[in-house]
Amino acid sequence: MNKNYMDKIHSWGRIWCIASLAFFICIPVAICLHLNVWPDPAIVGKGVASIAFFFVTGIVEVVAYSPMLGAGGTYLSFVSGNIMNLKMPCALNAMENAKVKANTEEGEVITTIAIAASTITTTIIIAVFVLIFAFNPKFSEIMSSDTFAPAFQQVTYTIFGSLAATYFVKHWKISFFPIAAVTLLLFFVDPGIGVLIPIGVVLSMLGAHVMYKLKKV
Amino acid sequence: MFSDFKSDGFMYLVILAVIVFVCAQSLFFMKKAWTRGKELGITTDKLKNAVTSSAIFSFAPAIGIAITVITLSVALGYVLPWIRLTVIGAIQYETTAAIAALEAAGMTGGISQAITDPEIFAAISWVMTLGSILPLILIPIILKKIQKGVSDVASKNSKWMDVMTAAAFIGLISAFIGRGLAGTGNAKEAIIGDGAGVLSLAALVASIGFMLFFTLLNKKLKKNWIEALAMPLSMVLAMVIVVLINSFLPEIAAIEWRY
Repeated sequence: MNKNYMDKIHSWGRIWCIASLAFFICIPVAICLHLNVWPDPAIVGKGVASIAFFFVTGIVEVVAYSPMLGAGGTYLSFVSGNIMNLKMPCALNAMENAKVKANTEEGEVITTIAIAASTITTTIIIAVFVLIFAFNPKFSEIMSSDTFAPAFQQVTYTIFGSLAATYFVKHWKISFFPIAAVTLLLFFVDPGIGVLIPIGVVLSMLGAHVMYKLKKV
Repeated sequence: MFSDFKSDGFMYLVILAVIVFVCAQSLFFMKKAWTRGKELGITTDKLKNAVTSSAIFSFAPAIGIAITVITLSVALGYVLPWIRLTVIGAIQYETTAAIAALEAAGMTGGISQAITDPEIFAAISWVMTLGSILPLILIPIILKKIQKGVSDVASKNSKWMDVMTAAAFIGLISAFIGRGLAGTGNAKEAIIGDGAGVLSLAALVASIGFMLFFTLLNKKLKKNWIEALAMPLSMVLAMVIVVLINSFLPEIAAIEWRY
């Protein structure tokens, strides 16, 4: 990979990350100044402490997802969020269409463009729909009605079903084990998707490593 | 609409600033990657395809995210959930953070009651922010090291790296496929379609089926638009199947083997 370009991506990414951090902290500060209230730090501390497990998932997400998202994609995705249900599948789809591999400079370029395009589109769509919901409550009733709500509840499965069709056909030899293992595990305990993803990734990589050593892939 | 402190003009100014910031960052990185792509010899068609297919792909999930704003809007109004789901946020996290802040303030009604106390509203905004910013602190410190490690391994044994990268993606997809087949729903509330059942299975099978159909169609016709639209079309058509099953076969749609 071109060191110069990658070094620049990291420099720009760091600047944007620090700017994002400062900007996001300014939001509650601005709300407090505007409302002229400052919440009891004990209440905020207690609230943050009771969701401290998100710190652990935050660390796991950075370590596990950044090699798949690429550098530019990681800097973008962790600012705009919705990584697993949107940015990651979007990046995978774009790499498949462009026929480039992850961890190459071509892959880096395509994932960055895909995630940037997805972020802008998502931001605009959310804005348009939330404004419609806010100013036209009837529309929000229709969208969250018994007819349409179940379809949007399944949207994640339609994303990963489509991706599975592409990936499992191509890599069917290493696909059976992780699907079977994860499904079997879920019949005993459901740890939630945040924990299940790292488990699925580790099991899949272990299975694939064994297949590689046995020269089956 | 602007009379409530949770959705007043100031809050709309904040979300406007957030939208401008997020779009500016995306445009910045897109421009840099586009220039580098051209230097690498990637065709303009491929680069454009990456933009259009990603934009179209994002439509349905984005509407799904917008709908989750409704869930939080009863307690928090529209703007704070909108801000949170535009940056960093994901619905599972935001709901948990809001409930945690409410309970810390001694309110046990959850997010089904409107917040009328500005101090509690401000506390929730702090908890949602502080609970989610750790990745933004970690990434500037460790991302370059992680990427260098991956790059070094890739240059030493590229075949093994290719297999491991594919395996990582497959592991990620398996987690969601597994949840569609055997994941549990919210035990406290009887919500149709949140646990593994007919609807999740229909969504999986239909999207896989449509994607395979479009892949085969593209192999035969070799059209760029089929490639770009295959995934978003498969998703939307699978969602239509779910709506049809839910509308015309409600008793079957309600079957869930994991609650």
